[in-house]
Amino acid sequence: MVKLGGYINYMREEINNIKNGAIAQIMSAKDVAELDSIKTAYLGRKGKLNLIIKKLKDLPEDEKKQTGILINEAKDTLIEQIINKKNTFRESVRKWYDPTVPGIEPALGNQHLITQAIDEISAIFTQIGFVRVRYPEAEWDWFAFESLNMPPDHPARDEWETFFIETPSHPKYGKMVLTPHTSNGQIREMQRVGNPPAGGPPIRMINIAKCYRRQSDLTHSQMFHQFEGLVVDKDINITHLKGTIDYFAKKYYGEKAVSRIRPFHFQFTEPSFEVDFSCIHCHGRARLSNGQRCKFCKSGWHEVGGAGMVHPNVLRAGGINPNKYTGFAFGWGVERVRLLKSGTTINDVRNLYSSDLRLLTQY
Amino acid sequence: MDILIPDNWLKDFLKTKASPKEIGKYLSLCGPSVERIIKSENGPVYSIEVTTNRVDSVGVYGIAREASAILPKFNIPAKLIPVIAKSKQKMTAKVSYLDVRVDSVLCPRFSAILIKNTKIGPSPLKIQQRLLDAGVRPINNIVDVSNYIMHELGQPMHTFDYDKIKNAKMILRLSKKGEMITTLDGASYKLPGGDIVIEDGSGELIDLPGIMGGLNSMVDKNTKNVLLFVQTYNPALIRRTSMKLAKRSEASSLFEKGLDPELVEPGIRRGIDLLVELTGGKPENQILDLYPHPYKTKIIKTAGSFLNHRLGIDIKTKKIKEILLSLGFKVSGKNDNISVAVPSFRSRDIDIGEDIVEEVARIYGYFNFPGQLMKGELPNTYLSTPFAFERKIKDTLKALGGVEIYTFSLVPQKDAGPGALKLKNPLGTETQYLRTSLLPSLVNAVEYNSGYKQPFHLYEIANVYLPRKAELPEEKMTLGGIFFEYEYRKAKGVVEKLLTELNIDFTLQIEDKSGFLPNGRVNIRSNNLQIGELGVLDNGFIYYEFLISNFIKVASPDRKIKSIPGYPAQIEDLTFTFPQKTRIGEVSKLITNNSKLIAKVELKDIYKDSYTFRVWYQHPSKTLTNSEVEKIREDFLLEIKNRFGVRPKV
Repeated sequence: MVKLGGYINYMREEINNIKNGAIAQIMSAKDVAELDSIKTAYLGRKGKLNLIIKKLKDLPEDEKKQTGILINEAKDTLIEQIINKKNTFRESVRKWYDPTVPGIEPALGNQHLITQAIDEISAIFTQIGFVRVRYPEAEWDWFAFESLNMPPDHPARDEWETFFIETPSHPKYGKMVLTPHTSNGQIREMQRVGNPPAGGPPIRMINIAKCYRRQSDLTHSQMFHQFEGLVVDKDINITHLKGTIDYFAKKYYGEKAVSRIRPFHFQFTEPSFEVDFSCIHCHGRARLSNGQRCKFCKSGWHEVGGAGMVHPNVLRAGGINPNKYTGFAFGWGVERVRLLKSGTTINDVRNLYSSDLRLLTQY
Repeated sequence: MDILIPDNWLKDFLKTKASPKEIGKYLSLCGPSVERIIKSENGPVYSIEVTTNRVDSVGVYGIAREASAILPKFNIPAKLIPVIAKSKQKMTAKVSYLDVRVDSVLCPRFSAILIKNTKIGPSPLKIQQRLLDAGVRPINNIVDVSNYIMHELGQPMHTFDYDKIKNAKMILRLSKKGEMITTLDGASYKLPGGDIVIEDGSGELIDLPGIMGGLNSMVDKNTKNVLLFVQTYNPALIRRTSMKLAKRSEASSLFEKGLDPELVEPGIRRGIDLLVELTGGKPENQILDLYPHPYKTKIIKTAGSFLNHRLGIDIKTKKIKEILLSLGFKVSGKNDNISVAVPSFRSRDIDIGEDIVEEVARIYGYFNFPGQLMKGELPNTYLSTPFAFERKIKDTLKALGGVEIYTFSLVPQKDAGPGALKLKNPLGTETQYLRTSLLPSLVNAVEYNSGYKQPFHLYEIANVYLPRKAELPEEKMTLGGIFFEYEYRKAKGVVEKLLTELNIDFTLQIEDKSGFLPNGRVNIRSNNLQIGELGVLDNGFIYYEFLISNFIKVASPDRKIKSIPGYPAQIEDLTFTFPQKTRIGEVSKLITNNSKLIAKVELKDIYKDSYTFRVWYQHPSKTLTNSEVEKIREDFLLEIKNRFGVRPKV
């Protein structure tokens, strides 16, 4: 049995030794990292001082208490020494940086979603030789309808809810309307290409412009944008129309996208088609990979608009000989095509014409 | 036209094992588009969009006919079951029970029959259910028969109370302007004139044919004797009247598309059968039928080579003929030649070889066509267009913090500007005029966002519409922008930077204009052309506007890039205190223009009423000495003193 008094002395000596050893290390530490490891070695949960505490458990209460005070004094001393030493490293403390601190962003504006879509669409078509044009929004009936094989009072005109402008009619071209589609550009482009300085077909036109219809609901805005493609050349046939539509689908929606055409009717094309693109969410399968029904489409497909082989009467109206040339045309809504892309959850197309900065600054 | 076709009704005319889903899918790929299949208590109902040229498909029988041609192409057997009528009455041009006078231009085929002793009551459940599934409210057996056959065959028909037709006499003629008729829904109309009408022996109008029956001749609960009435009318006249009176009915939308006169006979025979069955009525022995110009088969001459040229694939003539036969066409012709006999029900939509291309292609299946891009020469692409320039403006403004908006070109009168074009049929007064300026739209946009916490800059590039006499309006592509809570110098800096980026040299000229603060607006000029404006509006917003066409006129296509100067510039800061109301822009211009050796002047700082300019002195071929710089400096300081009365605080 060791005498108790001797044991306390022994402990005091041991604590002093540990403390002095630590202070020596702190003094010679070269950086914060080294101080941190010294701190762990001595003051950590399994540090040297805490290990001594475990040896106290057999001592009587008052001696346990005295030794505890000694240990705590030693701890306080070491903490103070470490902080003092750290402060001598001020320069390097400053060099330390926090890569997670929020940055200061420079102000950048926004381009509207419709502008972005128009840029993408025109880039896709100009890559394959199309020429971008823009034809009037306020237009004569003749260009908007009659030259497109739709004489006045033709029932097919009902599909285009047309705005009329209060102004006298033109003796040759009839009433003034707000063009309900970009197809007025077909005849205008045929006339441009057919007259000097241009030298006749081939035509590869992409006409992007504002259009207007008397319709306003979740899926219709009375002002909207269309893009109209027109190709006229020798030997143009249905496979060219199909190829061009599919090229657009893949370029705009990605390699996996496919298109299809179904029978439809327009007065200014024969044959006429309805064009569908495969849904980008379910790739035309109508079911998602987890087996659930796709919420974005009815059948795996989205209707985007019309297309067809240019009617011989329209070529004639544009001054082009239909026995020599054939062509195809398509006209689709910019907004519609854009909203079918992923990432937008705008469910009221009229919101695209909102001035709300909370929306505009997201574009 | 959207129509509803109950599957159980379709199967009356179509023998097939195809499932409703298959019918829907394959019809859509090759024929009328099945938008949806609705589940009704009585089975599936197809919701089908039929295009305006295919009025022959508006009806159960027409859809069955299409399906019988399409389904076999998907290896699903399908057969059309023809309309079989029990009625055996003779068709004749004169009958004892009705005296009529008909203009065959107005009514190419006119048929009618008297059915006596009919008993009015509800229709059998099956007919009621089918009508409900087709979207029609059942009324009574007589009215239901008309609606039922219209949905079945696509042939509208009408029933008169025979005893209400005075003297059993009818004259079908054009109306005179101002004649009155009350239709069976109780509405009264003063006719525009030139409308197809029927008067009876008393000279009173009793029917607005093809649109709606007259109130005074309608079947009611006391009706005993019914005159069944089945016609084909002049489509343009029906459309004209129904548009002018704004009275649209299912019948008028069928008649205006041009119905097949050959449909009249099966129509009236089905009508007789059903009225006999449902009302117990006794039909007369003769059907009145005025049909002076029966359908003469139309022949389209085309060729396999023509069809394949348009198709872009090679379909054998034998296969082409097969397809056409399946659709009810008759074909003949040797070798490459194909002569197509068009059945009456397709005579209005098949006119030229291209129409035959469509029929062959859709049944062959568009999905079977390959796709390819065009070969051949590229069009002349040297057309000069503004698109790249507009894009550069938008890219620059984005970099400068501008937010692009699209606002409506259609505005209320207060925002339209003087003389603006007005719509005849706007959706409302808020969108009644074509705007002549972007300014009001942009002000509205700022006010809409007035709760926004930070300063902002909105801009739009859009047309304004300037009216011209006897011409289309001039559509001027315009850039308009507006700043909210921007410091004036910062806003102006944005506009200056835009102009610099577009390689436009410009000068400013103060000119007041209504809507702007006095002395708060400048014209922006370049090459003696006014290209735009910038100024502070009455409400404190800062506004700018430019015409894109002017931009394009004055912008240099290329940027002037000078070589790096061989000698260093001398740079110094000079601080001035000016009297009140001195225009600092003019001071800066004065210094810049004073000597060719001054390369650049910047307003570096404003502190209270002191303005510090930084001046760069630069000689192209040597380093300027201090005394040379001093001479230049003294020169412009003297000018400044003369014009603005100040010397720098040094």
